[in-house]
Amino acid sequence: MRTSGLAILLIILGTFLTSTAQIFYKTGADRLSLSFVNMLTNFYLPVGVFIYILAGVLMLVAFKHGEVSVLYPIFATSYIWVMLSSRFFFGEAFNMHRWIGVGIIVFGITLVSIGGNKKKEQAIESGEVV
Amino acid sequence: MATALWSIVVVLIACVLGSFGPIYMKRGSNGLVFKAKALAKNKNLWIGSMFYLGSTIMFIPALKFGEVSVLYPIASTSYIWVSLLSIKLLGEKMNWVKWLGVVIIIIGVSFVGLGI
Repeated sequence: MRTSGLAILLIILGTFLTSTAQIFYKTGADRLSLSFVNMLTNFYLPVGVFIYILAGVLMLVAFKHGEVSVLYPIFATSYIWVMLSSRFFFGEAFNMHRWIGVGIIVFGITLVSIGGNKKKEQAIESGEVV
Repeated sequence: MATALWSIVVVLIACVLGSFGPIYMKRGSNGLVFKAKALAKNKNLWIGSMFYLGSTIMFIPALKFGEVSVLYPIASTSYIWVSLLSIKLLGEKMNWVKWLGVVIIIIGVSFVGLGI
């Protein structure tokens, strides 16, 4: 089965949303208190859950249009989002090691996508004579 | 903080279990219909969700008792298990380029783990 570009994009978007949802959970949990006012106005947790469900729906649609062995490694883009958010949201210090790691991860994901779209294998799968 | 052996074992088990999640979600996506009844009857979605939930529940306490530099790379072996399971259970095909990509991802995750 050929993994469509749309499926890949949906997984990237879905992973981004999942990482965003986690920021909402963390913020919501940090601000959680058992006061009446808090219960009414602490919207972070429910918003986080909503984003999480939305991400799940997108990823489910993506799975329909591609191979799991190509799409699942793309979940590793979550490391990119976590790195960016820790740097720009939570003000953590720049760490060269981590950024190199993220670069290597992106390279690995790219290889998996390339490997998943080898023309010869798709031709064999679709029954053409090679 | 040294990494407790039990946390390594738990992370490994959680990661293998969790790898069944995407496999069943993929199966569930094949006949996907966005209607309440159809979704409720989609057994593969339920099974996949259970695997995801179960593995997450195992992961979270284990992560507290171990260093990220050890546990992250172990958790990233999920890309290997998912690839293997996709061959066995979904009839997908792997090739050396995809495997190389998976290995490189694990190396990248190890860098990230060491950098924290």
